[in-house]
Amino acid sequence: MRILKLKKKDLKKFLESISSFGELWAPVKKGNRWAFQPTAPDNIDLDAGRTILPLKKFMVPQKFTMFKYNKEGYTPELSNIPSRIVFGAHPCDIAGLNILDKLFTENFPDPYYIERRKKTAIIGLSCLPDEFCFCNETGTDTVEEGFDLFLSETGTDFYLVWIGSSLGDDLMRMAENLFSEDIAFEDIQKFTNWKKERAKKFKVNIDLTGMPSIFELSLNSKIWDKIGERCLACGSCSMVCPTCNCYDVKDTVELRECKGERNRCWDSCTLHEYSLVAGGHNFRANRSDRLRLWYTHKLESFIGAYGKPSCVGCGRCLVTCPVDINAYTLAKTLREEEVFFK
Amino acid sequence: MNPEDRKTKQLPKVGIYGLTSCAGDQLTIVNCEDQILDIFGSAEISSFLMAKSDNTEGEIDVAIVEGSVSSKGDLEMLEDIRKRSKVLIALGNCACNGGPQAACVAAEDHKERMKQVYGDVKWSLPDPIDAKPLSAYVKVDMQITGCPIDKWEFLRALGRLVKGDGPIPISYPVCVECKYNENECLLFKNEMCLGPITLAGCNSVCINHNIPCFGCRGAVIEANVAGEAEMLVNMKHPQFPDRKNFDYQDVKNRAMMYGGNTMAELLDKAKVKGAKK
Repeated sequence: MRILKLKKKDLKKFLESISSFGELWAPVKKGNRWAFQPTAPDNIDLDAGRTILPLKKFMVPQKFTMFKYNKEGYTPELSNIPSRIVFGAHPCDIAGLNILDKLFTENFPDPYYIERRKKTAIIGLSCLPDEFCFCNETGTDTVEEGFDLFLSETGTDFYLVWIGSSLGDDLMRMAENLFSEDIAFEDIQKFTNWKKERAKKFKVNIDLTGMPSIFELSLNSKIWDKIGERCLACGSCSMVCPTCNCYDVKDTVELRECKGERNRCWDSCTLHEYSLVAGGHNFRANRSDRLRLWYTHKLESFIGAYGKPSCVGCGRCLVTCPVDINAYTLAKTLREEEVFFK
Repeated sequence: MNPEDRKTKQLPKVGIYGLTSCAGDQLTIVNCEDQILDIFGSAEISSFLMAKSDNTEGEIDVAIVEGSVSSKGDLEMLEDIRKRSKVLIALGNCACNGGPQAACVAAEDHKERMKQVYGDVKWSLPDPIDAKPLSAYVKVDMQITGCPIDKWEFLRALGRLVKGDGPIPISYPVCVECKYNENECLLFKNEMCLGPITLAGCNSVCINHNIPCFGCRGAVIEANVAGEAEMLVNMKHPQFPDRKNFDYQDVKNRAMMYGGNTMAELLDKAKVKGAKK
């Protein structure tokens, strides 16, 4: 992996130089929050906080057409996927993408995901935590892979730029003269100092060590009933979670002609219909069962299968759940037996 | 349509009817200008008073009925339609939940309310009764709700029905579509939003325009009305201490605007602290 230097004042020039690759998307203010939107290099908000939806919307859009069919057969909708540059992806979100990569490209490769991943250039940007971030606890405050380029703050007038892929190298070469390899020892020190300062800024006091055992021991805890009573089953937590990836498939048919399309849309295990099977049997009919599934999947089973939680500490569940059920309150409740949910 | 009919290309017979309502759902169908020829080409529309004049009332495959049952006349008409149709679809909030005219179902006796509003009058119309959804009287096979209905939901359902498939009902709340649209949650902006307990299918159109959900599509399956009311009336969100609470009566009024009997029962069961009887 190569690491180069880019002067902060040259960032705009760099983004302009690579515009031929595809449309530029970056966090744009939406009310009090941010959302990845198409934007111009002039309007980049370098201090943007977490976006409402994570990067998954680029790789697995909320709703998309898989193929259209008629009497002759069907054609997959793969040719019209646009090339995009996504600027300003935070480390936790890139860590989320790395988890989706495992799920969508390894055992059961998903052509729709793979094609979109290929056509989306990810330019990461380091960030400072707000009062809801806990990526320090999930080990996702730094990412080593999953991006094409990654720009890290150094607290000075330049970024350190990691080149994470051959596409990233190609993009860098589109404006090679803006980058320099001249990295002095003091530059490295400035970077490590900045990281030390950042580490002091985390405020969420969450402890995830030993979580799998705590979940295993708490499977029959009454806490789940309390949480189920409170949960509105609105599905918001899983919609905004960077690693939730369940989807539903539905066909739409034309009224008169013999043709139609097959569509995919985000689904969630917290919703009633998710575990409904033929004959009307629902093996997770209660909200408490479904929430337990959601959280044990994130913080227990995933660790068993992949060695790490599928929670990346982005804090979205903390700012999204209207009734304050999230990784933080849950971990605290299970660990301290403090009944958060009266 | 059964497979035999499909072979002979016999189109399914469809009747579209209206009981007590504003007729806005039938109007939504008529307003499908780009698809209206396909609608009339995909099925034999034997009766649709709003759109055509040569209507015949016989055996039909699919009956689509808008409006609530608000009079004995409505009830007779509905029972007749049910008898001669194989599949009956309730169209719009009035047919599915009773509509705004059912907003007071939980209050005092219907006759008493009529007297309060109109005084002692003699009714020239068929006897008015408490407004109720179709399902209070007959078997309803499918519901397409909303005020008005979403035209795409209607077209998708009709498309599947005329080709012999069952429509795919929606079973998740408005929040799901609201997140698809990456909206900022209005519950964190001090709005009384009913998104978490309301059936989706509207593409969260109100919240997309910064208007909280009024629940016009009725309660979602398994709606946690107690949880929603508790959140709006009593809950202090530890991480958002500025979020304000609402008066229970205001929450109830909003939930009942479109919620009908279903919402009345759910609210009654909820037992929210601060609720006055």
